[in-house]
Amino acid sequence: CNCCCPGVCVLYFARSAELTGLKEEQLVAVPTELSSRDLWGLLLQRHPRLSLLQDHVVLAIRQQFVAIGDQLVSLGDGDEVAVVPPLSGG
Amino acid sequence: MSEDVSCLKAQLEEKEREIAALKNKLSLLEKSQTLVLDLHDKVTPLTPLRAKHALSNEDIMRYSRQLLLPDLGVRGQLNLSKTSVLIVGCGGLGCPLAQYLAAAGIGRLGLLDYDEVELSNLHRQVLHGEENQGQAKALSAANAVRRLNSTVECVPYHLQLSPENALQLIQQYDIVADCSDNVPTRYLVSDACVLSGKPLVSASALRMDGQLTVYNYRGGPCYRCLYPAPPPPETVTNCSDGGVLGVVPGIMGCFQALEVIKIASGQGSSFGQQLLMFDAQDARFRSIKLRPRQAGCAVCGEEPSVTQLVDYEAFCGSAATDKCQRLHLLSRDQRITAQDYKSILDDAGPHLLLDVRPLVEVDICHLPFSLNIPLSSLEERKSEHLQLLRERVGQLKRQMAGGGRPPVYVICKQGNDSQKAVQLLEKMSGSELDHVTVKDISGGLMAWARTVDPTFPQY
Ligand SMILES: [Zn+2]
Repeated sequence: CNCCCPGVCVLYFARSAELTGLKEEQLVAVPTELSSRDLWGLLLQRHPRLSLLQDHVVLAIRQQFVAIGDQLVSLGDGDEVAVVPPLSGG
Repeated sequence: MSEDVSCLKAQLEEKEREIAALKNKLSLLEKSQTLVLDLHDKVTPLTPLRAKHALSNEDIMRYSRQLLLPDLGVRGQLNLSKTSVLIVGCGGLGCPLAQYLAAAGIGRLGLLDYDEVELSNLHRQVLHGEENQGQAKALSAANAVRRLNSTVECVPYHLQLSPENALQLIQQYDIVADCSDNVPTRYLVSDACVLSGKPLVSASALRMDGQLTVYNYRGGPCYRCLYPAPPPPETVTNCSDGGVLGVVPGIMGCFQALEVIKIASGQGSSFGQQLLMFDAQDARFRSIKLRPRQAGCAVCGEEPSVTQLVDYEAFCGSAATDKCQRLHLLSRDQRITAQDYKSILDDAGPHLLLDVRPLVEVDICHLPFSLNIPLSSLEERKSEHLQLLRERVGQLKRQMAGGGRPPVYVICKQGNDSQKAVQLLEKMSGSELDHVTVKDISGGLMAWARTVDPTFPQY
């Protein structure tokens, strides 16, 4: 991530970048432990248009796939979250 | 006397050179005729690929620069020559993939595509040329590959991959590459690869983004493990609507070639449990570690519910094509044809023509008297755009001496977004906006170009 301030860096790829109008953003004051569903909910709160991707998006934390569900994830300063919707064109 | 002799000798030499040139031309022509490719319109059994036991001198010369790599070597080269690869889609991904696989000396290439070459393909589908327009893409690609390496066996398939033919076809190949352009085909190819136990090297590209994963490979996930349910069709953007920079699928197709070569030669792929993302705008690559095969997966799990191929168009709610699919959101009296609109123009009836395409498309071409407000601005109720619309409707109302609702005609490229805009404007009419009569121009600007003004550009 190119941002250098404290907090969690969220990267938006493909359609998610179009829907949020952002390629990356810094999230501060994110709980250090939360469920992956709550993390997704937090992103939805900031960008309601992301709900179009609901159930069809890959979420990754520190470049590891995370299923959106009850699973607890820990987040700290400098951690990277990626939002990756599938592409089907060719 | 001696002058005559040398003159005759020179003439004779000249004739001999001509004869040699003619012989050469003849042999090339005879060779190319025996190489005429047979375009397959159905799946038929192929003869097994003959295993090469040693490299010929010509092979050694041709592949010398890659034989020098310890990672490949003679053994890897022989493995390549024993491998057959099915390429599903000969477009922006399939072209560079086929090109590099043929150049590297793959044994057999199945080239599948149902489309014909069009002018708008050439910026990214780099195996096809201007002279191939109208030709089956599979054949055009096979001929191009042949010119590059005639020792590679090419099987062009001009057919639509379907639940009826996919298994029979895929079973005949060692590795499958998904270079398709639509969601139903992606699920079909993945399921067929799981059911026949083949690794699937899959890539995709749109606009300035690319992705790559190798599915169903060494305990890694399949496409359904990652995406159990298909996205709603209206949220899917394809290349003909969203656009794509040609070099982006070019890069991803080259990546596919790399992974196919690594699997075929015996080195193994690095993307079995990885999703590679490429952002061409920032030249940024990211690789996400995926979970292994999911026990609960509908097709590759412990208790699969999908044990044979299903109807993927029904499953995804969309057709297996990237061509624009016509929406039917409106009743007949909410729509007019492009010719009807031409008569309204000719009669000089007061009205507003609203073009709801994104600005980037309006820059390509537009009707000079139209007002542009993109559909997305209407959906988001952008205040400056709504204000502009209110003003124009107000002006129109003042122009119309006899009163009545001002007519608004909505146009876009092909007539889908304009229907959505009509629905939206009807909701806004009388509340957020003065009362208006809204109609859709059926088929959009492309219908205008086809039926009213042939000089209007099509894209
Ligand atoms: Zn699976």
